Amino acid sequence: MSNPGPGTPVVLSVRGVSKAFGAVQALRDVSVDCRAGEIHALVGENGSGKSTLLGIASGFLAPDAGAVEIGGSRLRRPSPAAARRLGVGTAYQDYSHVLGLSVAENLFLAVPVEARPAYARMEAWAEETLAEFSLDVAAGAPTGALSLAERQLLEVAKALLTRPKVLLLDEPTTALGPDAVEQFHRLVLERVHEGIGIVYVSHRLPEVLAVADRVTVLRDGVGQGTFDAAAVSEDELVTLMIGRPLQVAFPERRALPDDAEAMLEVSGLQGERFGPIDLVVRRGEILGIAGAEGNGQVQFLRALAGAERATGGAACAGERLDMRSPAGPLRAGVVLLSGDRKGEALFPVLSVRANATVQVLRRLARAGVVRRGRERQAIADLVARLRVRMGSAEQPVSSLSGGNQQKISLVRPFLRGDVKVILAEEPTQGVDVGARFDIYEALRAKADEGVAAIVKSSDPLELSGLCDRVVVMSRGRIVEEIPADELGERRIVEAIVGSRVGARVAAGGPA
Amino acid sequence: MRRGLLPLALMALLIVGLGAYAGAVHPVFVSRQNLGNLLIEAMPLALVSLGQATALLVGGFDVSVAALMTMCVVTASFTMTPDTSGAALVLGALAVVGVGLATGVFNAILIRVLKLPSIVATLGTLSILEGASLALRAYPTGAINFDVTAALTRSVGFVPFAFVGVAMLALLGDAWLYRTRTGLALRAVGLDARSSRRLGMATGRTVLLAFVVCSLMAAIAGFYLGAEVQIGSPIIGNQALESIAAAVLGGASLAGGRGSYLGTLLAALFLTEIDNVLPLFQQPTEYADMTIGVLILLALVLYQAPELVARYRASRQPVVQAPAAPGGAPAA
Repeated sequence: MSNPGPGTPVVLSVRGVSKAFGAVQALRDVSVDCRAGEIHALVGENGSGKSTLLGIASGFLAPDAGAVEIGGSRLRRPSPAAARRLGVGTAYQDYSHVLGLSVAENLFLAVPVEARPAYARMEAWAEETLAEFSLDVAAGAPTGALSLAERQLLEVAKALLTRPKVLLLDEPTTALGPDAVEQFHRLVLERVHEGIGIVYVSHRLPEVLAVADRVTVLRDGVGQGTFDAAAVSEDELVTLMIGRPLQVAFPERRALPDDAEAMLEVSGLQGERFGPIDLVVRRGEILGIAGAEGNGQVQFLRALAGAERATGGAACAGERLDMRSPAGPLRAGVVLLSGDRKGEALFPVLSVRANATVQVLRRLARAGVVRRGRERQAIADLVARLRVRMGSAEQPVSSLSGGNQQKISLVRPFLRGDVKVILAEEPTQGVDVGARFDIYEALRAKADEGVAAIVKSSDPLELSGLCDRVVVMSRGRIVEEIPADELGERRIVEAIVGSRVGARVAAGGPA
Repeated sequence: MRRGLLPLALMALLIVGLGAYAGAVHPVFVSRQNLGNLLIEAMPLALVSLGQATALLVGGFDVSVAALMTMCVVTASFTMTPDTSGAALVLGALAVVGVGLATGVFNAILIRVLKLPSIVATLGTLSILEGASLALRAYPTGAINFDVTAALTRSVGFVPFAFVGVAMLALLGDAWLYRTRTGLALRAVGLDARSSRRLGMATGRTVLLAFVVCSLMAAIAGFYLGAEVQIGSPIIGNQALESIAAAVLGGASLAGGRGSYLGTLLAALFLTEIDNVLPLFQQPTEYADMTIGVLILLALVLYQAPELVARYRASRQPVVQAPAAPGGAPAA
């Protein structure tokens, strides 16, 4: 830690920035600054606006209001090119690699045109550069062949090659093991001593607090204050991260009978971004999956539904699950509610009716012809039960609000009589508070009928209120399991941020 | 770039193989007269295919090229009549190039500003140009300046100057694509536009330029089409699909970022050779279309074989990270 005083020049100043995506206000009047020679940590829960803020600082997103100044110059027409010219280097969470090109070519493209070596010298120059960053990869290797950890380190090296005044790091350690994290931090600290300012976004509090000078907390797109890293405890930060403006109600949980049989058994399931995972979900149980975004949760659920390649096995109600394509799990009664509503879960231009019944038309048909009356009858009950707000069942599903769209995609497993397992990915994302309860209640009702459910959510409050048990995933594996009697928002957040204070909560509490 | 040589080798082999077979059965095929004709016949397709390859490199398609070539022929039948000469003829030629330039800018605006998929945008342009050609010339009429057409098709020996020029252009194009900074930038934009933008590249300008280049090449191809038909014909050729076929057979990836100008030129020659050979064997030309279709499918599978094999291998060995310590991996 170099601890530059307030007199040090400010290399990045974000003032009063707001940004909305559709109806979602991602940032509201947020201000952050970063001084030369400082590591400024930016922390907050999933969806608190960290990545949006970095996107604005890097020029990739244009703010609705507010201003960005880099090294004293205003970023007027935001674009990554303009921000780079002013001195911003960005290491994106999902990288800026062109996978079809070699490592050397990627490094070459990352350098500003005037600072590039001669084209013919590219390979030799890349070897030198890689050695300089202690990166053990071949310059001629295709970037697509690198491991995720190597890609992550390469991304940071590329950002540093622009000789930035300020370096933006978005979750730079998600794919790194503990040793690699330490090596990475040494590299970063070296640069800080050279006078670079660093904005470091991470959900791993102990990691980021070990190197940060100051910390800014975001919650629901609003800044919660900036603190000296040495003067603030993890405990206090967690409290700032999760403070809740709204209380959400949850349906009542019934204790599972001890002899509830296993419905879904996963053994050694392993894919490109997760695994191996062993897991048992019992009949009537809602299991929550928590974790910072991008730690394999989505891929795990998709693999179970046959939508992603994986090795290992899973059984549903004792029968081996054929996960080579989505057809196998569907036949076995395993239903995925994709988080990508527009792209995967719904047919946006088709009517509410068509969307609700598309998977069960055979049951509603006689001699191959769908009986419109039976179809209407079937959905009318469910629409009432889920309290879907709409004009008519014939309007396109895309004309409904996000919450009501989500309810429609939930109707499907209800219409099928043979559902055994529901895999729900972010079931309430973009759903207003009122509609959330309806969705929770619907899931709980299905569980009470004997269905096993897995809910992947980035909202710890939701997981603690809805689920019977929560597992926490990190780097593709289950790292912690939280039983029903320990469930709580704070407990989950602490498990996600890898905080050591978990055991001390009862004794100390937030200051 | 070793994998990039596969299309070149395959096309060269097919050209020589088919030529040798045809020459053995019908010696007239390898006559200097016929070879010279074949090279001239190949010019429109070769030129437009080089342009199409550029559009494919940035991940787009331009299906309006054939309609544009026809529009250029029709324009030439007005601006480059047998009576024009001197400065008027130069202006007339510039008018034809201008039609190409305007079309390219129009396509680029549809794609970049209105964010239309390139295949849809150029399909619209195709219809507009087709209609405009028919409005200007309801039936084939209006001769094109013979001096110009004669000059375009002049040869040294049996090799047309134009062919030498196109071959040079293709070689220079590949050298640019694989040996220069801007060539690398073009491929990067085609491979991954988002990452390219993040790296500060002017992705919009690159795509715009690629489509303007494509249309300009189509306009030049239009001159050679004009030299072939010699009259303002509003009938559309089938070079749109054939140019995509040539680029793909020459090694271009339909997803963008990969391709070879030399490979494209060889493929254009081969496709013309098929058209040239079939009449010798008294085979109907329908067979040419079918042969080309089968070849494209085979080429796509063959060129992608290394990727398919790699993907299969990768799927057998999932990438696994070093296991994290259970309990949330506290830092010391």
